[in-house]
Formats: sequence, C-alpha cells, structure tokens
Amino acid sequence: MNRFRWLIQTLVALGTNSYLLFPFGGSVIYQGPLKAVCHPGLNCYSCPGALLSCPVGAFQNFMASLRFGMGGIPNFGAIVLGYVGFIGSVVGRLTCGWICPFGFIQDLLHKLPTRKFSLWKPLRWTKYGFLVVMVVIMPVLLVDKTGLGHPWFCKLVCPAGTLEGALPLLALKPSLWGGVGFYFWNKLTILILILGAVICISRFFCRVICPLGAFYSLFSRISLVQLEFVEGNCVECGACVRKCPTGVVPNQEFDSPECIMCLRCVDACHFSALDFGIRRPLGKPAKVKRVTSPL
Amino acid sequence: MPKKAFWLIFLYTALFILGVNTGDLTQLHHLGTTICLACVGVG
Repeated sequence: MNRFRWLIQTLVALGTNSYLLFPFGGSVIYQGPLKAVCHPGLNCYSCPGALLSCPVGAFQNFMASLRFGMGGIPNFGAIVLGYVGFIGSVVGRLTCGWICPFGFIQDLLHKLPTRKFSLWKPLRWTKYGFLVVMVVIMPVLLVDKTGLGHPWFCKLVCPAGTLEGALPLLALKPSLWGGVGFYFWNKLTILILILGAVICISRFFCRVICPLGAFYSLFSRISLVQLEFVEGNCVECGACVRKCPTGVVPNQEFDSPECIMCLRCVDACHFSALDFGIRRPLGKPAKVKRVTSPL
Repeated sequence: MPKKAFWLIFLYTALFILGVNTGDLTQLHHLGTTICLACVGVG
C-alpha cells in the first residue's frame, strides 16, 4: 500500500506540474484553461510547471478583493470553498497523505538519515490560527488605500510558494530581482527553517502550519470515508503508532484531525484491527474479522 | 451513506455551482495566470 501511495504522490506531483514550455512561452507560467481549476493540495500556482491553481492562494485573493464586490453578490470564493469543502466532505485529509505535492516533498525530505524528533503536541493547534488569521481575517481587514487586501499567508509564510514559485521564477526572470526585499528574505528564512524542521520532524508543516490541512481536518469526524478501528482485533502491539507520520495513536484517537489517511497503520497492523472504508452510521459497530496471528 | 457527509457534499456542491454562476471561474483563471508577486515575495 505504501508503495502505491508513493506512486500516486509521484504521479500527481509530476502530472500537475508538467508544463514544460515555460522557458519558451511569453510568460514563464502556464496560462491555459486548467488554471481555472484548483489543485486539491498545496501547490503554488506561480510554479513555472504548475497546471492548476492553489486553493489557499486563490481563496486569499478572493478575500482580499471582497470589498470590491459588496455592491452586488460578494465574491467570497464560493468556487474554492465549494471545491475544497466537497473534497473534505468525501475524503477528509486523505488529500494530504496521497495528493498534496508539498506533503510529498516533506515525505521525501524526512527520509534523509538524521536524528528524528517528535512534535510537541500543542503546536498542532497553530495551523487553525494560520487558517483563520492569515487566510481569512488579514486579507479582508488589512487593505491598502484602494481597498484591496493582500494574500498574507502567501506573502509572509508559505514555503511552498518560495520553493515552487519564487526560487524558479527568480532564476527564470532576473528582472524580478529588482523588487526583492524584506518579504522575500523573510520567506526564504522561513522556508529554510521549515525544511530543516521537516527533515527532523515528520510532516512538520502539515501538522503545525498548513491552513489547507487545517481546513480538511475539520471534516475528519464526518467525512464520507474513514479509518476504521476494529477494537476486538487490537492486541495493542503499538505497530500502528510507530508507523504514523503525524503522531496519531490510531487505536485511541478515532477520527483524529491529524490523521492524513496515508494508511501506513493499516499496513503495519497484522491483526486487521484497522481498515479503511465508507463511514458507518452511528451505533453500527465494525465487524470483527477473524484473523490468524502472524506471530 | 452517513447523513452529515451527504448534506455537506450537497452543500459544498451547491456552493461550487454558486461560484461558477457568479463569475468566480473567470476570476480564478485570471489569478492563476498572473505571476503571484506575494508568492515570490516581491513588492
């Protein structure tokens, strides 16, 4: 299963960043019709190879220009909200584990052979702060003289934007260096710190900062699909806990907002205590499957 | 199918359709085809 997930992650990351004409076209980014569609994961739309838009960046821009639409129907990014909400309702954070290109980059970096650390658990709450403050409140309230806000998460924090957008674009379009100042150096420092943290702490960005992950995690208890725990089969061997990249204890934290449904725990469990499927209605327990002990 | 998930899917589909009908698609395309200076850290 894990190999299959790696394959999907690779195919999605390459497939959605497969615009190869950027050195030859008039603009260094793709400008075709697919840009009207959002990527389900975090993927900077200013990446020269990106075929799709970034939902976090797009939503902030809708919020930033919200005041301009107040006369008629305000454009509050219903298309983006509907899109990511639909995905969240169906698969929850499965997107983070299987589809997100920046999640894939983190998985690759964490494979580097260094000393690994676990995350201080209260830090997991900060991603909700980034979602509410930097993605919703700041773009609406902090506006310039013209009444236009800014995508503050992209501007101040987003390491995906620096890695996939800023660095390649500055290499391809040297004229952009003229405008480089505080914001760029601030973001480059954040990128370096986050990449360093990701090497030592599994999925650090997803667990602490990612506003998209925070949004998807709101659906963890109600999404159509879920990670299922069959209590009768669990022998509490802890194999699932050791494999979890986000520090979830699958046999204790049911429907955890931190679970990215990578299904490594399902692979690790030799007793069929964990399974993945359509959510059961309340009060309908999972069937206990008879298993032969592998030990 | 769990009821809550069903209603959420319905709600978000309706929201998506509302967005398509209020011109969000054009704005989204415009955003995606312009180099995001905030992402680059310029300006």
